[in-house]
Order: sequence, then C-alpha cells, then structure tokens
Amino acid sequence: MKKTYKLALTSILLTLALALSYMERFFPLQMLIPLPGVKMGLANIVSLVALYLLGGKYALSILAVRSLLTSVFAGSVTSFLFSVSGGILAILVMSLSKRVKFFSVYGVSILGAAAHNIGQIACAMILMNSVYIASYLTYLLIISIFTGFVVGFLSSGVIKSLLKTRMLES
Amino acid sequence: MDKTARLSFRRGDLVSVGLILILIVLCAALFFPRGENAASEVQVYLDGKLVYAYPLYEDRTITLTGVYTNEIEIKDASVRILKSDCPGEDCVHTGWISSAGRSIVCLPNRAEIRITGQPDVDFVVR
Repeated sequence: MKKTYKLALTSILLTLALALSYMERFFPLQMLIPLPGVKMGLANIVSLVALYLLGGKYALSILAVRSLLTSVFAGSVTSFLFSVSGGILAILVMSLSKRVKFFSVYGVSILGAAAHNIGQIACAMILMNSVYIASYLTYLLIISIFTGFVVGFLSSGVIKSLLKTRMLES
Repeated sequence: MDKTARLSFRRGDLVSVGLILILIVLCAALFFPRGENAASEVQVYLDGKLVYAYPLYEDRTITLTGVYTNEIEIKDASVRILKSDCPGEDCVHTGWISSAGRSIVCLPNRAEIRITGQPDVDFVVR
C-alpha cells in the first residue's frame, strides 16, 4: 500500500472513530448497567480495523488524535486521561495478542476490551488515590467479555468485506 | 495486510475468555471483603482525601463540592448520591449501597463514598 493511500485511509478511520464515539452517547449501555465506564466501545472497531489493515502504529495514532479531539469538543482533561490510558493499553494488548496463533479477531477484541477497562481503572486508582475503585473492575471485566465479543463480531465483518473489495489492493 | 489474518471465530478465542474469567475471580477475591464485617461507617473522599465520616445508622444529607456538586443521602442504613450536576450522573444511577466494602464513585467530581465495616461482635473468646 502506498503511503498516501495509508494516510487517506487513516484519516477516514479517524473520522469514523470520532463519529462512533459520538454516536455511542445515544445508545448508552449505562442505562442497563449503571456503572462508571460501562460502554459498548464501538470506537474500538476502528482500532481493530486499523490494526489489521494498517498496523499498530496507525491504530495508536488514530487513538491518540481521537481522544484528544473528543476531549476538546466535549470533555475535560480527566476524560482525556481516561480514554488515553484505556485506549493505549488496549492497543498494546491487541497488537500483542494478534500475533498469537490461536486468536482470531474475536479473541483479540475481547482481550482489548478487558485491557481498556484495566487501563481506565488503573488511571482512576492513581487519580483518586484509592484502591477501592478496583472492585468495579470485577463487574467491568464481566461486561467486557460480552462487549468485546460484539465488537469482535462487527470488526470481523468490516475487515472481511473491506478485503473483498479491490480498495486495499495495489 | 497479510492474507493469513484470522478473521473468523476459532476455538482458541475461548482462551481469552478463560484468561478474563481468571482475572475476574482474582479481582473478586481481592476486593470483596467477606461478610463477617458489618457495615458501620460512611466515609466520603474527595481527591483521595477523607473529608467526611459519619455513622451509617444516622440519617442525614451531605453536600460535597469539588469540581461538581454531589448531594449524598444516608437513610435507613443505606447511602446513595441523591443529586449530582456532573455529566453522565453514573453516581446517581448506581443507586443505594449498604454493605461494607461497597463504594459509589463519581469520577468527574473525583469523589468516592465508601462504606467501611468493623467486626460485628463485642469480643472474641479464645
């Protein structure tokens, strides 16, 4: 893939990630499970697609810019720290587990969802100077198995159909 | 993009679920104190510092002001955040808590309300 092509694809994915994380506010999973930090994690579809089609560096840069922009538009320094700490750990874990032979996108996505929660809780523990918060992690991890699976399913579909088109050749 | 990418669900993916289940059990074992501690005190933390401590068995409301304002209600040996002007209001949605070791967190306000416990016996004869 040419560099310009990669850059164009990265920008499109970044826009999609922004749109998805905005859209997610209208379908809050928190209505069903009222815990701080509970989210479907739809923007993680973009991280997975970027990871599989472009590579870890691109996925990481999309995440960094996305977190920065969402915090500028509608958020605070705290929300930036939370989304970055969870996101970076998620991408690191996902790019490592992608190399493991017996994991498909599904396994990678589930581990990514769990890593995202672990990163956020670690950030919360540091910010609030409290170990007690980690008790939330138990619930968040249970939920992450389901959200990770759904995001894995969606990403698998997106990546498969993108590979069927001729878009990514040359 | 390598053509060998694994995109469909495989049995190996269950290993990831297994790993997370192990983590869940570890977390539960570490952070959920056993039932021998009876809930007794409500502690309110702001920015990691203890600002209020009240007995769980006295009804009252507390107004906690940090970046945002939380209104905390203690009633019938339970605690909840009654009102909050923080975005999202997850803390309000958490509802009532009443057992030792549980907590309500308001991340935007960096506030934590914790129920602590003491042994529910006067003394132990050995």
